Parts: sequence; structure tokens; C-alpha cells
Amino acid sequence: MTNNQRAFLFGYGKRSLVIAEELQIRNFLLTIVVDTDESYTLAKSDGFLDVVKINMTDDDELEQLSIEEDDHLVCIMEDSHFNVFLTLSLRALFPKSKIIALSDSVHTTQKLKMAGANRVIDLYQVSANRIYNILNKPLATKFIDNILSPNNELSLREIVIPKKSYLDNIKVDDFDFGKHGIILVGMIDRRLSNQFLFITSGLEHQLNVGDTMVCIGYNDDLDRFEESIHQHVEEE
Amino acid sequence: MFARLITKFAFYLNSSGRYKNTKKTFHNFLNNPDFIYKKYFDSFMIVLILVSVIILVYEVEHPIPKWVDDFDVYLVTSIFSLEYILRFWVYNDFHIAIVREYEEAHFLDKPFSVWKPIKIVLKGKLRYLTSPSAIVDLLAILPAYRPLRILRIFVLFRVFKLLRYTKSIHQFLEVLATKRFELVTLLFLLFFIVSTAGIAIYVFEERTNPNINSIFDALYWALVTISSVGYGDISPMTPAGRVVSMLIIISGIAMISFVTSVIVSAFSEKLDELKEHRIVEEINKKEEFIIICGYGQMTRMFLKSNTIEDYEYVIIEKDTKQVEIGIKEGYRVIQEDASRYDVISKFNVNYARITLLALTGNDVNNIYITLNAKSISRNIKVIARASDHHMEKKCKLAGVDHVVLPNMAANRMLLFAITQPAMYKAMYSMLVGQTLAQLDEISTIEHSKLVGKRIEEIDFKAHKLLFIGFQCGRRNEFIFNPPAQIDIRKGDILLVMGRRVSINYFKQLNAGVSYD
Repeated sequence: MTNNQRAFLFGYGKRSLVIAEELQIRNFLLTIVVDTDESYTLAKSDGFLDVVKINMTDDDELEQLSIEEDDHLVCIMEDSHFNVFLTLSLRALFPKSKIIALSDSVHTTQKLKMAGANRVIDLYQVSANRIYNILNKPLATKFIDNILSPNNELSLREIVIPKKSYLDNIKVDDFDFGKHGIILVGMIDRRLSNQFLFITSGLEHQLNVGDTMVCIGYNDDLDRFEESIHQHVEEE
Repeated sequence: MFARLITKFAFYLNSSGRYKNTKKTFHNFLNNPDFIYKKYFDSFMIVLILVSVIILVYEVEHPIPKWVDDFDVYLVTSIFSLEYILRFWVYNDFHIAIVREYEEAHFLDKPFSVWKPIKIVLKGKLRYLTSPSAIVDLLAILPAYRPLRILRIFVLFRVFKLLRYTKSIHQFLEVLATKRFELVTLLFLLFFIVSTAGIAIYVFEERTNPNINSIFDALYWALVTISSVGYGDISPMTPAGRVVSMLIIISGIAMISFVTSVIVSAFSEKLDELKEHRIVEEINKKEEFIIICGYGQMTRMFLKSNTIEDYEYVIIEKDTKQVEIGIKEGYRVIQEDASRYDVISKFNVNYARITLLALTGNDVNNIYITLNAKSISRNIKVIARASDHHMEKKCKLAGVDHVVLPNMAANRMLLFAITQPAMYKAMYSMLVGQTLAQLDEISTIEHSKLVGKRIEEIDFKAHKLLFIGFQCGRRNEFIFNPPAQIDIRKGDILLVMGRRVSINYFKQLNAGVSYD
């Protein structure tokens, strides 16, 4: 079963396997786009079926990929110069697509953003901060590790407020999330800006149907909470 | 009988932890440059020497109050004498030599004589007593003996004694020592020219020049002239004497420029080494510091993205180009190979808390650096970078305390960005610690105003903070989202999320160190 979302992975190397596999596990329709025979063979030998070899500097060939507005375009070319160029080409051709790019330095990050990437992941930034956290905030590090670990007890979860939910039109301050054993970290307010807002930003939030809440809690508590807001809808 | 008593006493001392610790402490204060508190002792001695020299110099022409004189005679001299005795004591150990000799004799089944190890240790002590620094120490005590006024000239030895405590003079002499051959050759040349010119002027002018009455006057004139000082108290009067003067002046100019160039070249050759030596020495005085191995993208990112000013650090990089870039960018970089034993062992591994970051781009190097550091001291905490999970296992085997996987971290963020875009920002803030929101911990030891309060009494919301949980200090257990009625106790650590400004302000309001 697919989730109807498509992702195009531009570039295929050693580090791409994990991303490609994870995307397949999450039922994304994945297309791997490469520009060399070596990458093509590697991707095929890793078991991926939808692998296309094109000349990425040629806009016509990129256009033929039939990319649509909601598709995720992931630029992970090994050569940072080429990655910036590819991002720029994709942005020019598909202005509304979500482009996510991988960078290996502060300067490249800036250039990728200027080239039009929606999200730029810096290869070293997260790790550099992890070292800082190990040194300075061991408790916070342990907590984050617990959330990110595959066998986690605690996790971060997106919960969308369903129609007719008892949470509709309720101010965040008026609802006791603690009673359910969870903590609300932030939310995406559909009516406001469709941007993620942290609960600590100081603004007064009102929950509405369709808003996405991001909560931390033990998996059981999160399950129960999610179930409870859905049950309520069914009862009504 | 006497020998048996000495042996028994030696065994007693050898088993006494208290005696060993006391002696080790004195040894650290006197001789161990890595000992963190030695700098305080050195500073104290420098002040004491300077005060005593000022007193002795002032006293030459002015009467001084009796208490100042007493201070110099009794206190300063007592401290100098005590230091001299302590240095003599810690130089080597009778009991260790006796015990070792006894055990050896017992093992080999040969006759044991207590006098043999005593003789060896005594020889060592004598070697110490005749060493230049010990002689200076002894002579520095002498000016305190007031009846013999001539002894006050030994005040100079108190100035020499400063050499023990000031490293820069020591280093200057060390640098000069590297050009010993050139300097000795020049000294011989100087001796040759001065004696030839002295003899020549003596022969030419001894009868005609009223200022030259002896060969000493002639040699004094030659030295004053060749050094280009030229007091003018003795000057040549005959044409032959003036020719000698001209020659000696020319050779003097050549000599001075030669000596200057030798000293300058010695320093320029050793400059980088001296600078690096100074960096290591400075950092070794700190109780806690970081050694970063490798200056690449990862190190740069670590240095830039966080407040590195909070840390004492040193970067070790092999590659000359990278070292130059690092220095240009304003970081403390030394050019060394971190996988070499002698490079890491020169850091204060015994007394300081050291964290080593193995951040080179090569997994093999990072593992080797880790093994090298751990072979020097298991107490060095190592955080190493690895490229994938297979390397992570090897790193753990090598003793790495924390493994950082840049590829995995980036992949994880990529997946978040694609599959859970709403959470991306929350995750990114937690991982990257943005100003927008970050996770931080608040220790109740540093922020003691929180101690004794109930969680419900702290208005986190008013401070625009999100309280996540706390680590219970007593049980060493993390409690997520704890009940509001729980009391905060000393030693607990609170985990909060919020903007940096909110966290800092909250910390500021609750700051205070509890000492009970």
C-alpha cells in the first residue's frame, strides 16, 4: 500500500541507501535519478527498481521526469557545486515542489537556500551540536537519544485534531495535556500561517480542527490520547 | 641491629599511604609542572623573592623598620630554608631503595646490606646538592646572615632563584642553548680579538698613555671598544694605537651583527615550537579542557555553532595548510600528529579532566587516535566521529565514550523533513539548539533558589518555558512530566525547553550556589 506521496532522490551514493530504504518502508513512491553509470548500477544492485539515468544539466531531461507540485525532491549529489546547480534548476522548473538538499558546509548551506531549497540539512551541524550537548547537556542528550532511538519509550508525535473534536475552539492554556501524561511542544495552526509555532513563543494559541499538534510523551500515553480524541468524535 | 631497625622503618614508610601522599603532594608543588596548584606556589615564591630583594636593596642606603628586617630574616629565610630542605627530601627516596634491595636480595637469596641502597640514595642527594639550581637556592638563603654584610651580595642569587619559577627566562636560555656551538665559537673569537688588541695597545702605549698602567687596563679598553660602548676614559694616543682601535672597531661591528643574527635565527627557528609549547603549557594549567583532533568542516562547525569561549581547547592538526587556515581563523591550533604517544602524553593527563574529540575525516585515524589517548589514560573522555554503524561498533571497542555519526544524523533529519514535516522544526530545534527553542538543563546546585520548591510553585509558563521533566539527583533517574506536587531537591536537574533568552533569564533569577 502506498501513501500516494512521491519522492525523487537526485544522486545515489553510499549514504543514500539508508534514506532510500526508509522512504520505501514508509511507502513513498520512490524514483532514484542518477547521472552516472556507476550510480545507476549501485542503485540497481541495492534492489531499487525505479532508477533513471539522465543528464541533470539538461532541463529538458529533468522536465521529462513528470514531477508534480506535491512531490518531494531530495538533492544529495556528492559534488556540492553540482548539488547547488541542480537545486537551482529544479526550483526554476518546478517552483511549487518541496526541495530538500544536503549540504557539507555553512557556505554551501547558504547557497542552497539562495538556490531555492525549502530545507537544507547540514551534514555536520547536527553532529557538531551533538558534541556540544554531550559536553554541556548530558541529560538533554540522553532525552533526545531516547526520542530518536528505534526502541524508544518516549516519542514526538504529530496529532491532527479531527472534525467535531472536543479540542476544537479550545485555548491551549485551558486544556490540561499533563492530565493525559503528554506535553504539547508546538503546533501548526492551519488558520494562521500554516507554520510550526512553538508553545513557548508567547502567543496565545487556539486549537482548531485540522491543526497539527506536536506532542512528547510515552508511546502508550500518546496512543491513549490520540484514541481519546477520536473516540470522542465517534461518540458525538 | 641498627641496620635491621632502618630496614623495618623503611618497610613501615613504604606501606604508609599517608607518608606517600604527603611526599607526593610536596613533590607536586615543588617539581610537577602539570600539577594544577603549582602555579599558585610559584606565584607566591616569586612575590616573596621580589619583596625580599626590594628590602635588601632598599636597606643598602636607608634604615628599615625592625619588623621589615625581621620579616626578611625570619619569615623569608625560613620559607627559603624549608623549601631547600623539602626539595632535598623529595629528590629521591631512601625507603624505596632499601625495600627494593631487600626484596631483590630475598628473591635471589643473596646477603642483604642496608648500606648499599643508602649509599646510592646519598649519592643522588649529593648530586642534587651540587646541581646549579640547588646551589642557587642555598646561596639565596645567605643574605639573611646580618653580621657578615658582604653576604648581602648574594641577593643576586635570589634574583637567579626567579629562574626556577619563570618559564620565559628558562625558555630564552633553552633557545640560546640550541646555538651553543655558534655562540661558543664567537666567544673564543671575542677572547682572541680582545686579548690581541689588549696586548697590542699595552705594547704600543704603556709608556706614553698615562691611563694604561697595566695589561688589565689594556684588556678593559679593548673590551669596551669592541662592544662599541666606548666610555672614553681610556683612548689611544699614538698612531699605532689608533690603528689598533680602527681594526678593533671594525671587528666589533662584525661581531655584534653576527651575535645578533645568531640569536635572531635561533628564535625564528624555534618560534613555532615555542608558541605551541606555550599553548600546551597554558592549557595544562586548566582543570578541564578539550583536545580537538583534526581541523576540518566538522571542527569548524563545532567551533562556530557553539560558544567555544566557554571552553579551554586546543586543536591538533597534522596538515600544514589546515593549521595555517585554523590560525588565520583565530583558533589555537598546533601542528602535531594526535596519533603519536608523545603528543597526547604531554598534556596534563593525570590531573586535568580531558575530553578528546577525534574529528578527522578518516575513521582509521579516529580509532587510532582514540586507542592512543586511552592507552595514555583511561580517564580521557573520547568523542569520535565515525562514518557508519560498522565503524561505530569498532569505535566502541576501541574505547570511544560517545560516537557521532554525521551521515546518520543528516539522514535522520532528511527523513524528518520528508516524512514528518510538522515535526521537523521541533526536532531541528532540539538537535541544533536554535534561538527559536532549545532544550536545556538547569542544575539546582548552581541555581539553588529552586531547591525546596514544589514544581507547581514554579511558573514555567510565565517565563515562556516548557518543563519537560527532571533528573532526580538521589536516584539518578529521569522523570518525564512529573506530578506537580513533587519537591525539587538539591542535586536535581530540570530539563526545560524554550528560547535561549527565556532560559538565560530564568537561570539568572534562580542563580545561587548552595554550599551545604
